[in-house]
Amino acid sequence: MQDNEFNEYTDEFGQTAPLPASHGQRKPPPVDFQFGPAEGERFPDCTLRDADGVRINLHEDRGSAKAAVLFFRSAVW
Amino acid sequence: MTQLVELRDAYKKFQAAGVKLYAISYDRPDELAEFAAHHDINFPLLSDKGSRLIRQLGILNTHVTRDQVPFYGIPYPGTYVLNEQGVITGKLFGRNHHARFTGESMLDSALGEILIGEDEPMASTDDEQVNITAVWHGGGGTVKASVVREIVVRFELAEGLHIYDEPVPQGMVATRVEVTGPEGFHTGDMRKPATHTLELPELDTALQVWSNQVDLAIPVWVDDSVVSLLGEQAEVDLEIALKIHYQACDDQVCHIPQSRDLTLRVPFASYTAPNLFKRVAGLDISAMDSQQLMKRKIRRGLLRSPIGGLRFLRKMASDMKKGPMGKRRGSS
Repeated sequence: MQDNEFNEYTDEFGQTAPLPASHGQRKPPPVDFQFGPAEGERFPDCTLRDADGVRINLHEDRGSAKAAVLFFRSAVW
Repeated sequence: MTQLVELRDAYKKFQAAGVKLYAISYDRPDELAEFAAHHDINFPLLSDKGSRLIRQLGILNTHVTRDQVPFYGIPYPGTYVLNEQGVITGKLFGRNHHARFTGESMLDSALGEILIGEDEPMASTDDEQVNITAVWHGGGGTVKASVVREIVVRFELAEGLHIYDEPVPQGMVATRVEVTGPEGFHTGDMRKPATHTLELPELDTALQVWSNQVDLAIPVWVDDSVVSLLGEQAEVDLEIALKIHYQACDDQVCHIPQSRDLTLRVPFASYTAPNLFKRVAGLDISAMDSQQLMKRKIRRGLLRSPIGGLRFLRKMASDMKKGPMGKRRGSS
């Protein structure tokens, strides 16, 4: 993506997308952003539906296993 | 999207290690189901309807306003790593949302050690006393835009030897790695293991040292100027040069400082993108109909914010036409 014409679509990280880098979903978090609870805190209790619509309590489903809990933007776009 | 598709391939490593994996977004269960079916996702995708958990945690992307109808409610992407008691032991978040972490990084964080895969590109010095192996870690040994990998530099030191972390007194050499790649290749801050302290009372000083096996991990990623090398030359590997400086000593003798060169060659892999993107080199367009699903997201969003939402959509349509994936580029 060398075209200068499209500079506003390339963000500070050198990535180009169909919408300008000023769009909210492309903006990075504030510099001092804390990203939620700190290490050492318990992950909150939560019950969410899975892709089949089944309600899953995260800590119950995890049992006594370690886990990675990933937050992503969207599976659609 | 591309990160989840990669995680599908890494998930067997999670299962082997007994670590659970959950991926959460603001999407509805039916949207997640459609994605899972198209991409054979084999780990749980969970729907945080109304972004309640995202807000509760405090990771809502507040740059996205209610008027930005299809996008409102997204988090800043990242991962919490939990121990057996559900306590957070690791947080993998970053300012650069393109530089998303691999499943391997999540697993390493959960296990507290770096698990090198046999499929990962590597190069080694084959020294007996101080053996150094550089590994391109994560993502199945490939490079692609949008997911960060790590270069792991593993020192295996003969018994009794140690190497130094900074700071060191003048005349001694701390362990240091220089990484060089093509334009558009980026490196982050090196992750180092804990040192132990070596007291030198006769010199009235204390040094920070490592012994046995030492893993230094450097986050690495590429931007679109590297990915655009693809296309006609899709067979070209990414070539990364490493220069590793160290000084090994034992309790009696300090050896001469050394520098070693290693080269990693890493194949490109395509980035999985929704069918909202133009088909270009390096993009693998999903068979899922995101256009249809986006229309539904927009309809639902307009119920929430009709006037501001319509204004946003008009601006978005115009921006997309002008943009690099839009008509102007295609017709030029």
